[in-house]
Amino acid sequence: MKLTAALLGLLLATPAWADCPLDLGRGTGWVVFSDHYLMAFRPDPLRIEVGEPFALVLNVCTRSGAPGELLAVDANMPEHRHLMNYRPSIVAKGDGRFRAEGMLFHMPGRWEITFDVRAGEESERLTHDIILK
Amino acid sequence: MTRLLLLASVLVVWAGSVWSQQRLDWSPEEIRIVGQHGPWPPSPVRDPSNKVSGTPAGIALGEHLFNEPRLSGDGRTSCATCHQAGREWSDGLAKARGSVELDRRTPSLWNIGYLHWFGWDGAGDSLWAQSIRPLLDPREMNGGPTRAAELLRGDARLACGYEKAFDRKPGGDDEQLLVDTAKALAAFQATLVSPRTPFDDFRDALVAGDRDGVARYPVAAQRGLRLFIGTANCNLCHLGPRFTSGEFGDIGIPFFVRPGEVDPGRLGGLSRLAASPFNLLGKYNEDPTGENTRRTRHVQRQHTNFGEFRVPGLRQVGRGGPYMHNGSVLTLEDVVKHYSEVSPDRLHSDGVPLVRALALTTEQSADLVAFLRSLDAGPPARPVPPPLCP
Repeated sequence: MKLTAALLGLLLATPAWADCPLDLGRGTGWVVFSDHYLMAFRPDPLRIEVGEPFALVLNVCTRSGAPGELLAVDANMPEHRHLMNYRPSIVAKGDGRFRAEGMLFHMPGRWEITFDVRAGEESERLTHDIILK
Repeated sequence: MTRLLLLASVLVVWAGSVWSQQRLDWSPEEIRIVGQHGPWPPSPVRDPSNKVSGTPAGIALGEHLFNEPRLSGDGRTSCATCHQAGREWSDGLAKARGSVELDRRTPSLWNIGYLHWFGWDGAGDSLWAQSIRPLLDPREMNGGPTRAAELLRGDARLACGYEKAFDRKPGGDDEQLLVDTAKALAAFQATLVSPRTPFDDFRDALVAGDRDGVARYPVAAQRGLRLFIGTANCNLCHLGPRFTSGEFGDIGIPFFVRPGEVDPGRLGGLSRLAASPFNLLGKYNEDPTGENTRRTRHVQRQHTNFGEFRVPGLRQVGRGGPYMHNGSVLTLEDVVKHYSEVSPDRLHSDGVPLVRALALTTEQSADLVAFLRSLDAGPPARPVPPPLCP
């Protein structure tokens, strides 16, 4: 269901953001948005396994279609109030594209991924929940 | 004849009744979760940072070196002194004993090749890097930085085994030969995979829908397993086929090793990892892709790492012990009692605690122990190590 919503989000989003396409290259992923930003991301590899490192491939755009900046990515388990044991590093690929390397979820359960994004002076934190079984 | 038929009918009904008592009703979600603890054994593992990992010549050299007391400073202690095959690759002691008594228990080597962090505090990011530590530690084998090199160069049998494993004669670089010794030791240790157990037969039967196979698993163990994956939440950390996340946790064991002195656990391990010339970011990592450095590059040191220790795998757990990183819990029954009664004050959890007093009944405790003991099996006899050279 989530995946369908994400794909729908991508289809709806694509025409308006020619300068900052949300296409992640594999036709799948999640879309997170706020009043000011739109962001698409997918894990690499696509299936996140407990205890296995993964990366996130991300596109960050403003609502007006300009590329945004990804300042930080992190994740926590809100119920247990702990972070990951690892701190991801971000590589900018240009045009709002980023790759966050070094993610690892060491427990099953609900993880909240946080994305700190910025365009100009304005920064914001976006979040997305993933249930890992 | 009629009486005989009647008796037979009664026996069939009775047997059916007993059978039905030997199997709990497992939900699809429970079957999925139980299935995650297998299959067993896993595929052999190969460490890309170690070019002799998985090679017959490297494994053979490693097994000979593992039993070699001349690697130690006094010529009397080998890896096998503490990691004994007949004691589940540990020593049965509460605290390891080298030249002095240490602060932690000798960990078992079963399934160690599948880990990513090594040692109770995770100070090693490869099995070979971890194997260097006891060789050098003055409190353990105290071999010094040149002992392994002198042995490989000076002993014709080991030199021959080295050449077969590494495709070169032992050279003059003592540190390289120390690393190579550790890589051969790691190649051998990675072959130590624990045997299949009654749990594995049950798990496979449950996943396959084999009712007869499921019913052969003791019902007390089934109840214990249901607790383990259910209300007790043990599988949040003891997960997967090896029953460990391979990461670290604080389960409420006292920090103090002596009055006024604490064991910082993972916090100290991460400092040692960063300072080690043998970590995967150094020149001895033989993985040209660098893929195996991801954990080391990204691991972060947090104040919550204080007092955390590596989550041990649970296979063969009932045959080991004493338990916990410091051997402070003597029996498996005491381990379950610890989790049943652990004090929340000691754990300082802000959110929903991962470890909380389970307040188990006597029957529940016995069921958990029955399940844990179903993760045990007698390993087959070990063959004599092959000769290094004809």
